Amino acid sequence: MSHQSDTLHLPCGQTRGQSLGSQGTHTRPLEMMLHLQQTIEKHIMQLVTRHQQQDLVLGDQRHHQATGEQEALLGNLVSQLVGLLQSGATGGLGLQPSYPALDVRGDVGGGQEAQSSGQPDQPVHQLKDPEATFVSQHLSNRGIEISASYQANLQDYRIYQGDKYHEDKNPLGFINLGISENKLCLDLMTERLSQSDTNFTEDVLLQYSDWSGQPFLREEVARFLTYYCKVPAQLDPENVVVLNGCSSIFSTLAMVLCDPGEALLTPTPFYGSFVFSSQLYSKVELILVHLDSESTDANPDPFKLTVDKLEQALLEVTLTGKKVRGLVLINPQNPLGDVYSRDTLKEYLEFAKRYNLHVIMDEIYMLSVFDESITFHSVLSMESLPDPNRTHVIWGTSKDFGISGFRFGVLYTHNKEVASAVSSFGYLHSVSGIIQYKLCRLLQDREWIDGVYLPTYRSRLRRAHRYITRKLKALGIPFLNHGSGLYVWINLKVCLDPCTFEEERLLCRRFLDNKLILSRGKTYMCKEPGWFRIVFADRPLRLKQAMYRFYQVLEEQKWDLRVKQPESAQKE
Amino acid sequence: MFTLPQKESRAPATCPGSASTQDLDSNYGDGLERECSRKPDRKMLEFCGAGDPTAMLSSGSSYLSSRGGVIKWFWDSAEEGYRTYHTDEYDEDKNPSGIINLGTSENKLCFDLLSSRLSQSDMLRVEPSLLQYPDWRGHRFLREEVARFLSFYCKSPTPLKPENVVVLNGCASLFSALATVLCEVGEAFLIPAPYYGAITQHVYLYGNVRLVCVYLDSEVTGLDTRPFQLTVERLEMALQRANSEGVKVKGLILINPHNPLGDIYSPGELRNYLEFAKRHELHVMVDEVYMLSVFEKSAAYCSVLSLEGLPDPQRTHVMWATSKDFGMSGLRFGTLYTENQDVATAVASLCRYHGLSGLVQYQMAQLLRDRDWINQVYLPENHARLKAAHTYVAGELQALGIPFLSHGAGFFIWVDLRKFLPEATFKEEMLLWRRFLDNKVLLSCGKTFECKEPGWFRLVFSDKAHRLCLGMRRVRQVLGGKSQVAEEPHSCQTQEPRSQRR
Repeated sequence: MSHQSDTLHLPCGQTRGQSLGSQGTHTRPLEMMLHLQQTIEKHIMQLVTRHQQQDLVLGDQRHHQATGEQEALLGNLVSQLVGLLQSGATGGLGLQPSYPALDVRGDVGGGQEAQSSGQPDQPVHQLKDPEATFVSQHLSNRGIEISASYQANLQDYRIYQGDKYHEDKNPLGFINLGISENKLCLDLMTERLSQSDTNFTEDVLLQYSDWSGQPFLREEVARFLTYYCKVPAQLDPENVVVLNGCSSIFSTLAMVLCDPGEALLTPTPFYGSFVFSSQLYSKVELILVHLDSESTDANPDPFKLTVDKLEQALLEVTLTGKKVRGLVLINPQNPLGDVYSRDTLKEYLEFAKRYNLHVIMDEIYMLSVFDESITFHSVLSMESLPDPNRTHVIWGTSKDFGISGFRFGVLYTHNKEVASAVSSFGYLHSVSGIIQYKLCRLLQDREWIDGVYLPTYRSRLRRAHRYITRKLKALGIPFLNHGSGLYVWINLKVCLDPCTFEEERLLCRRFLDNKLILSRGKTYMCKEPGWFRIVFADRPLRLKQAMYRFYQVLEEQKWDLRVKQPESAQKE
Repeated sequence: MFTLPQKESRAPATCPGSASTQDLDSNYGDGLERECSRKPDRKMLEFCGAGDPTAMLSSGSSYLSSRGGVIKWFWDSAEEGYRTYHTDEYDEDKNPSGIINLGTSENKLCFDLLSSRLSQSDMLRVEPSLLQYPDWRGHRFLREEVARFLSFYCKSPTPLKPENVVVLNGCASLFSALATVLCEVGEAFLIPAPYYGAITQHVYLYGNVRLVCVYLDSEVTGLDTRPFQLTVERLEMALQRANSEGVKVKGLILINPHNPLGDIYSPGELRNYLEFAKRHELHVMVDEVYMLSVFEKSAAYCSVLSLEGLPDPQRTHVMWATSKDFGMSGLRFGTLYTENQDVATAVASLCRYHGLSGLVQYQMAQLLRDRDWINQVYLPENHARLKAAHTYVAGELQALGIPFLSHGAGFFIWVDLRKFLPEATFKEEMLLWRRFLDNKVLLSCGKTFECKEPGWFRLVFSDKAHRLCLGMRRVRQVLGGKSQVAEEPHSCQTQEPRSQRR
């Protein structure tokens, strides 16, 4: 739990630990001052040595870049300091120190799904608009944080939106393989949703409804999950709560299960948007259980989650006096693309039970298992859950049906108190009655789902996956080859020198400069620099073009490395 | 199950956010705007300890966090009335002796028009861009349409800009988001009371923001021209009181046309309130969700967006939705208009939690674009129906000798039933409310609007004639049996109730 980060963008769990203590308010600015000082010194050093390097054209470019980065870092440090001082001023109100949320700016990228943008590096962009990040006289401190975490994304998002790739109209536009969006079946979905049976506009849909979801939809969801999760007994519609998306479900769960400053355990690499969701409203901390890419005897699979690791992390956190309320798991995993076996799942649940931890189980990719040799086990399929009252399952249609614009997420929990408490938020996360009706019709149509949609969807996923993995193999790039999800988790360490998060960020920027959006390991709180996630659930043509750009960037990068290595050898 | 503590407790004086200015014990009831009741004997602790909801009550639940316990309590207390109503909802054929709901402010008069409009083929477009992640501020086509729509109907002197529009799933979310981005935990907004009580929950749940009531009187005193009149003097006093209690007030909430009073603020009044807010650097959130539901031709409505030269445009934020004016509370569409880009962006940052489906966004754009239908068909018909229903209910009340307030806007009449309470207490008010419910008609009582005088009720008239007649018959029955209990019957005092007891 004590890894070093190369920049200030420490994963949440790290800074929080230090900062929550009463002395945190002072030590943190001090640390940052120190960092600032060092950075300034380094910056001046660079300016001094500039002439010596100018003869090398490439070196100069690199230098420019480096200077820019330094400046970016400086500005960022200053703005963070201001934020800290501001939040310090309000500390007397009994507020949580608010600076941990600053981390979110750096980390939320993986939350691209959330932010709809593929901005790999916020810090630079943040600087373009430094005033907006901290000089708003109209917003509360938390408003400023919330806004800042979003604004950088917004800028990139707008650039992307205004310059989207189109094979004929804009062949030079951005291709987005950063957002985990299923674009393979938009044709099928459009067709199905255009059928007249999904259109219904009666009184009941136009009026206020049950805030936990229309009864007809909750019944359908219960039937649907019973069937697709292979539940031994029929699920109860009363245990279903419908909200406008899984982020909303997660956010409300964090609110009702944890008090501010309490924590949830989660293995990393991990869907980064949850950091954002837990921070944003609920001020809940995620304690990261870092997994290793290396296989050892004790740990044969890369990034394997073990109960040992969970126990160790829990112990460490508990020693700091922090209260851990639950464990968050994603199955099938994002970004690893793997599924948990029934036995390991059971182990995790037993672990949670031993320590009275809630388990938030995100199964949003449950129907996106395309490798036929793999069996997905929903926790709901277990004969007897170790601790049913503390097991809460999340599912939605965004990924499995590729309709992220629908805004629909589901909570299934046996715990009536949790269901009621989450329903209190129904008003703030409600789904239109008309949409609830369409979803009900969709989930009802088993014949179409089983006969048309799923077979087509999975075969397209398989094909796209095969294409991408072949390309990766040909390029000699290591990746984790698993059969679920919309993405591959790839290892580009060899392209980084030195292998730091800063270099990772620069590489990501380079992809972006070449009009390719990928998301990097840092946004998944991966502890090792160099990992990237490529989303392959896109049309073949775009995928092909994307992989061409990918190849070009790697070539550029290799060229740079070759230039750089003799250079550093010379220095030595 | 946990039971909530029965007695109120005050926060320690050191807690700046503890705001003795209101106790949350009363606001949700109607609050959920459909769940028109709550159990009368349930008392909520005063929320105390800014930023520390754990201090509020010790949850008996081993599963929920402390704040989770409080949050659940909101649900349970609302559930109470909701269940009573929904287990026994009136249906002409299936359950003629079921409960008639005159408590929820919903316009049930125009479902025929809306259903047919929303079923037209132009509404049914499905295309990939609508199925994918949207711009969280709302699809551009919709924001453009909203800007045009508001420019026209709010009579804005210059065209409004799409950049200043943020679209989300209802005004509840908007209140929540604004509270979060404008206030720190424990800070407060001013709000004239009585007011639409659900706002309490909206700003509290996520934002942990309080409301400071500016209590208004039914009695017409001084320079007042009408009961419950909001004056700058009252605003100043409430603000001063809050300040002296250490409560940091960040904004003012105005509802115009007003819920539950049905009041419409004149341009002069509006300007005064806005100037007051400017003097104190307060944000003003103007909820104009009933702006097109002004059915009396003589009543002139003025949106803040129509004012030439807003006093403090950077701190003026306007809210509108289709829930009321288009009778589609189930559609979940609300919008913010603010010139303040910081605020717009901050609210948009929260929109991924409060987004609405792309397909609905498309339908809304189509609807708002269809000026012909709105102006030629929908609005005239809607206003005529509202007016007819209002005339009927007002007549009934007059015949019963019951004073009430109504100014030709909104879906409801603010009824003075004080003379039917043997004692001027909220307990008696609740008993009367219960008596209505026992007699199968659901109303909302004044307490849920944080009215400081017991005995006021909100009666919603925007329902179909057969339900309305039956509902009024039941109201009559209750009051007929009850009025004998009252010590001194009063003469009919329409439009101008006098405060008889204090």
